[in-house]
Amino acid sequence: MNENYLWDRSGEPDPEVQNLEQILGSLRYQPRPLEIPNDVVLRGIRPFFTKLAIAAAIGLIAIALGLWVNFNRPRTVPAVVAKRDSPTDQKRNAPQPQIAPNDNPMQLAGIKDPTPTKIQKRHREPARTLVAQNKSRDTAIRPSTLTPQELAEKEQVLLALRLVSAKLNLAQRKTQGLPQLNIIRNQHKIG
Amino acid sequence: MLEAEATADMLLMTQPFSAPQIEEQPVEVMLVKAVLAGERDRFARLYEMYAPLVHGILLARVPRDEVDDLVQDIFLHALKKLHTLRDPKAFAPWIAMIARNRAMDFYRSSRETVEVTEQMAIARSPSRTAKEILDLIRQLPDAYRETLVLRFVEGMTGPEIATRTGLTPASVRVNLHRGTKLLRERMGTLQNRER
Repeated sequence: MNENYLWDRSGEPDPEVQNLEQILGSLRYQPRPLEIPNDVVLRGIRPFFTKLAIAAAIGLIAIALGLWVNFNRPRTVPAVVAKRDSPTDQKRNAPQPQIAPNDNPMQLAGIKDPTPTKIQKRHREPARTLVAQNKSRDTAIRPSTLTPQELAEKEQVLLALRLVSAKLNLAQRKTQGLPQLNIIRNQHKIG
Repeated sequence: MLEAEATADMLLMTQPFSAPQIEEQPVEVMLVKAVLAGERDRFARLYEMYAPLVHGILLARVPRDEVDDLVQDIFLHALKKLHTLRDPKAFAPWIAMIARNRAMDFYRSSRETVEVTEQMAIARSPSRTAKEILDLIRQLPDAYRETLVLRFVEGMTGPEIATRTGLTPASVRVNLHRGTKLLRERMGTLQNRER
């Protein structure tokens, strides 16, 4: 069989293929005019402005929906109103010690201060109008004012806690079948 | 100075002249666009161009007496749905797919048994051999029968089949080769039986 002739009728004609063409050619499509009824409605391509209008309408609906949801959201204003003269407020309202511009030793030495002059707020304040807020926390570490006896008691309690912790660890390791840790390593902690 | 050089270039045309290139569009693209723009008569040209393709696809699947009416139906359906065709270049594969789907629907709607009137029998009387060979082609696997009908009945070449059906030329080549081989084997068996 001549493959080129079968593919694109090039090359030497293949008699077998020619025979098939001749026989089956009698079934070939016979041209017949297309009868298009008058009631066939032809829809054209949507023009650009129609598409734009649809997109704009969808956008407006989305914005309106967003606004509606935003305004209809139930607002939970805290019922608790902080006292005006609470210690925190007093601390906040206390006059800040003014530092003279020339008192800064770094400036006097001619070194640029690495810290920025303006301290920017990291978070925006919420728009809600709350009466008072207690945001700042007093996290300063106070110096211990324990007596020597109290310190000794504290040490004893800590020691007892370490012992209990070590025993619990040992028990847990035994139940799980894990190898025991070198206890000598922790002896300095236990005492 | 620069202006003077530019003017000299313009006057002497020292720069190679490049004519504005007009992008040539395939015929079917222009026709589809024209039809969508409202020139309905242009659809007749598309019908002339692609009716043999649709005819061949249907002939590989449905009874021969139903094919002509189905071709008309398919083109009317295509005209109504032409606005859904995204890429006008793909008109041929698109209408081929419609034809395949319609052939499947034909069997689903159990219209398999069609009354053959005397008039129909007289109007279409291909030789017995052609009918027999067509029946043999219809018994071949789906991939082969469509390609063989388009090649032997509609007289298309392999590259034409590939372009119109959307198949790759390699696939069409394989289908043609294997399909013809199978057909020849079955024809040999048929001839042996007759003897």
